[in-house]
Amino acid sequence: MLKAENLSKHYLQGGTEVVALEDFSYSFPAGATAIVGPSGSGKTTLLNLLAGFDVPSRGRVELAGERLDELNEDERAAVRLRHAGFVFQSWNLLPTLTALENVAFPLLLAGVARVQREERAQELLSRVGVAERAEHRPNQLSGGEQQRVAIARALALEPAVLFADEPTGNLDSASGRKVLDLLLAHAGDERRLVLVTHDLDVASHAQRILHLRDGRLIDIEKSG
Amino acid sequence: MELIRLVWRNLTARTTRSIFTWLGIAVATASMVLFLSFGEGLRQALAVEMGNMGPQIRVVAQGTDAFSPPLPELPPEMLEKIKYLAPELGISKVIPAVVMFRGGFDPSSSFLFYGLPEGADPRDFYPKAQVSAGRIDPHPDGAVVGSKKAELNHLQLGKLLRLSHDVKLKVVGVLKPASSMIDSFIFLPLKTLQKVLGTNNYGVFLINLKPGVKADEVAQKLEEAIPGIDAQSSSEALKYAEKAMRIGDLIRFGISLVALVVGGLLVANTVMMSVYERTREFGIMRAVGARRRFIFSLVLAEALFLALAGGAAGVLAGVIGSSVINVYTQHAVGLALSAVTPRLALFAMGIALGLGLLAGVLPARNASRIAVTEALGRI
Ligand SMILES: Nc1ncnc2c1ncn2[C@@H]1O[C@H](COP(=O)(O)OP(=O)(O)OP(=O)(O)O)[C@@H](O)[C@H]1O
Ligand SMILES: [Mg+2]
Repeated sequence: MLKAENLSKHYLQGGTEVVALEDFSYSFPAGATAIVGPSGSGKTTLLNLLAGFDVPSRGRVELAGERLDELNEDERAAVRLRHAGFVFQSWNLLPTLTALENVAFPLLLAGVARVQREERAQELLSRVGVAERAEHRPNQLSGGEQQRVAIARALALEPAVLFADEPTGNLDSASGRKVLDLLLAHAGDERRLVLVTHDLDVASHAQRILHLRDGRLIDIEKSG
Repeated sequence: MELIRLVWRNLTARTTRSIFTWLGIAVATASMVLFLSFGEGLRQALAVEMGNMGPQIRVVAQGTDAFSPPLPELPPEMLEKIKYLAPELGISKVIPAVVMFRGGFDPSSSFLFYGLPEGADPRDFYPKAQVSAGRIDPHPDGAVVGSKKAELNHLQLGKLLRLSHDVKLKVVGVLKPASSMIDSFIFLPLKTLQKVLGTNNYGVFLINLKPGVKADEVAQKLEEAIPGIDAQSSSEALKYAEKAMRIGDLIRFGISLVALVVGGLLVANTVMMSVYERTREFGIMRAVGARRRFIFSLVLAEALFLALAGGAAGVLAGVIGSSVINVYTQHAVGLALSAVTPRLALFAMGIALGLGLLAGVLPARNASRIAVTEALGRI
């Protein structure tokens, strides 16, 4: 479902090679997996590779049966559309669209007709508790509301894997808690949540915690 | 359809910039339409004119250029020769005339005099000519004035026209408006004008043919038979004028090209800025699953939309501007010189669209090529 083998990513920066991720192998079980580590340890790099935003320097990634490392940009985009959802730390939403239209956007890309799209988007907004904000633009929403709209959008096509990079990083603890609960609710028997965070308290809600340091997986901790 | 909505959303989110760009293209297109509308108007006026013109062949001295009044360089012997050839060639009438031009660029200070022989009058120029006052024949000693000329220079019946220090004529007839060149002419007896010019020569022979005779062929035979003349049938003249007009079109298009380039740069600038500002947005779209083509189309559609909307407004403004110009030229020379024909409107829209395409392709390509991780990294 979601599997990495000997995954490495090296960047060339000013003539010297930066090792952002080295030899990462892990098969993500169903449920929630947290990735923690100090700044610069390669968490975002790993997420980018798992989600197919970027291609590895070496190794393989498999998402929903597709070898992402072997696909081109557009093919990876198609896999993402069907099988992956994202929530970033901030600026998740398209600023010129309303909350409803943001949630409906992946459905538009998938070719869902307008009426069904809006129906489904409204339903998703209700599910994350911001139904009454449907017609608002992102800049009219609070940070917590924006994150919830982003979650609604990530869930629009019921992806197998939900990726979140510091989704609560900009939120106070109360709204951070709500966002975290919504994300965790998605992780289940079939579904996976990959949660990157600095916050060990947040990470402790996941079933497993992967510890990264200097681009290497140094520890796998079972919790919950 | 959905693409248009997204484009619309983005353009309305940056209203001021969008409006300025739109205006820029509109102004560029309008100026091009106006410039070119003169050519179209002239062309239309000319076609009407030629269709209405009496003489089927004009004979002038060789080397006379088509757009200035012919000098009196045709000697009386030539007239005899043409008359001699007339039965053989199927010529029904030869009118020897003299032309004199006085004045400058301003319609009210320029005068075009036509000296016509006895037995000829303005109807030989324009078969439908009629007088609104007085008589239509200037002979023996009067002037018949075209409606526009009469109006511009207050030449009512009985007014005295001074042609030289010892030649004066009274206005004996004023023509009805004919929406033709003759509206600006003044017709005089041939002898009078010859006296003013101090010559016995003629400036032009106007030739009418018997029904069924081919003007082009007669014109050619005349040129062969009489050296030193240019014989032009009206259809040939039309072709010649068309050629001259093409050159005019090219020059006007060249001038308006400057406006167009500025308009194109405006669109390119707007779209480029908009692309740069929205890098993160495109990153999000790509992250969610949009293909490169989607981003490309989105940006290109934005440029095309701006160009199309600007072009349409420009054509509209051009139509309005053209009719304003026509009010003036109608008043000044009695002709609608500017016309926005459907083909001109289409051409202008095509140019505007082409500009949008040109201005949009590069930013669109850039926007669709940027790496997802890089796009996401830029906030
Ligand atoms: N595009 C890039 N070019 C060069 N080096 C990069 C690039 N992206 C990341 N790196 C480097 O790779 C390493 C890992 O970066 P990464 O962003 O994955 O860390 P992180 O764990 O997400 O950090 P943070 O907690 O601060 O978000 C860092 O040393 C970083 O400087
Ligand atoms: Mg990071």
